[in-house]
Amino acid sequence: MKPPILIIIMATIMTGTMIVMLSSHWLLIWIGFEMNMLAIIPILMKKYNPRAMEASTKYFLTQATASMLLMMGVTINLLYSGQWVVSKISNPIASIMMTTALTMKLGLSPFHFWVPEVTQGITLMSGMILLTWQKIAPMSILYQISPSINTNLLMLMALTSVLVGGWGGLNQTQLRKIMAYSSIAHMGWMAAIITYNPTMMVLNLTLYILMTLSTFMLFMLNSSTTTLSLSHMWNKFPLITSMILILMLSLGGLPPLSGFIPKWMIIQELTKNNMIIIPTLMAITALLNLYFYLRLTYSTALTMFPSTNNMKMKWQFEYTKKATLLPPLIITSTMLLPLTPMLSVLD
Amino acid sequence: MMTYIVFILSIVFVMSFVGFATKPSPIYGGLVLIISGGIGCAIVLNFGGSFLGLMVFLIYLGGMLVVFGYTTAMATEQYPEVWVSNKAVLAAFITGLLSELLTACYILKDGEVEVVLKFNGMGDWVIYDTGDSGFFSEEAMGIAALYSYGTWLVVVTGWSLLIGVLVIMEVTRGN
Repeated sequence: MKPPILIIIMATIMTGTMIVMLSSHWLLIWIGFEMNMLAIIPILMKKYNPRAMEASTKYFLTQATASMLLMMGVTINLLYSGQWVVSKISNPIASIMMTTALTMKLGLSPFHFWVPEVTQGITLMSGMILLTWQKIAPMSILYQISPSINTNLLMLMALTSVLVGGWGGLNQTQLRKIMAYSSIAHMGWMAAIITYNPTMMVLNLTLYILMTLSTFMLFMLNSSTTTLSLSHMWNKFPLITSMILILMLSLGGLPPLSGFIPKWMIIQELTKNNMIIIPTLMAITALLNLYFYLRLTYSTALTMFPSTNNMKMKWQFEYTKKATLLPPLIITSTMLLPLTPMLSVLD
Repeated sequence: MMTYIVFILSIVFVMSFVGFATKPSPIYGGLVLIISGGIGCAIVLNFGGSFLGLMVFLIYLGGMLVVFGYTTAMATEQYPEVWVSNKAVLAAFITGLLSELLTACYILKDGEVEVVLKFNGMGDWVIYDTGDSGFFSEEAMGIAALYSYGTWLVVVTGWSLLIGVLVIMEVTRGN
């Protein structure tokens, strides 16, 4: 894509999300969503093969349907409240429609079917933008209408998302599909806590974005999209291999790493609201997620996959691929746990 | 009949939407889209929005849909699909038309109907009320406001349209 067009399109993607986050009028929010969706289509279609075309078409159809549902919810809200300001949605029908539309945009179950297929059909860089930046706008709207969201609906969606994200990722060897199911599961954790304490959702979103950015950066360094190519990394980048080890453990939510912070806080907030079974179920199902992260770690950093002898004696030129901001990203994705008491500034 | 004109136009509006929602070939879909756009304009006109209705008719139908029609005519196939050519399309079309007619009969019989939303009868549509906005037409004031307080909205919509064109160009580039 020619550089001027790429700059304009990237700027529009960011502008769309900014308009969604900073507007107080529902029409502007809808316009921001549409601008964002339109501008990301050529990014998804960077490679002109049928797989990418199919992925962009699927993305476009689901997001357009979700925008239409959002517009319907906005119109019903206008009918019953007479104004366009983003505030508490008093009519339950409007609230349910908006929640459904926004969870469709996020890829929560039962609207999760597009996430693995779209993520698999596009390049690693586009997948990174899809799974991180595109989650910010719908999450910010869910944050703004959080007092009026129907808890039963969202909790059901969240629980099924965690289940789907765990079980769906078990049989995958393609890294993009693994990251897609990881995204579904993390979105489930975020959606579970919105109605109780939206700040924890923002915490989870921030840490999830940092961890996913780091993971995709490491995958892009090696240009690896399958578990097999990741398993050859020990020979090329031994340091990056150990980074993948701790990053995967952090994504899985293991204690001394920062991936544990959101899970811990969410379980704490849920139990403060007298819910025992749901956080237990979510914590147990997160083990499924941990299993496939551990499998990636095992094949990458802990064992040597069977390979031919000349794969064991690789040589290559001095490495020139740039990994933007990789050291700060890895440190924030793995070492932030001791800073958790800073959350007490919220009281 | 003139008191019920908005009701009749709304029913024909929905039926023409059914016409292109059943996915015939794009050339026929465009034809029905023009008709439904025209009927939508007539509904807007009946609520006093004379400028907006004429704008949509001229620019949307007369400009954009005409261009759509020409480009579809260039890309059409030898045996385009009509509503009666395929059993699935025909069945969907008849289902849509029947549902709309049933809803219309319900409204005429009971005076109100509730599907998702409560439609309280044609009170708002038959008794024409200009609203409390004083001596000026609300619609003209709205258009004036778009160019005074609503400058940001014009900027955003203009940028979205430009991006729409750029994205279409990028997507159809093909290499």
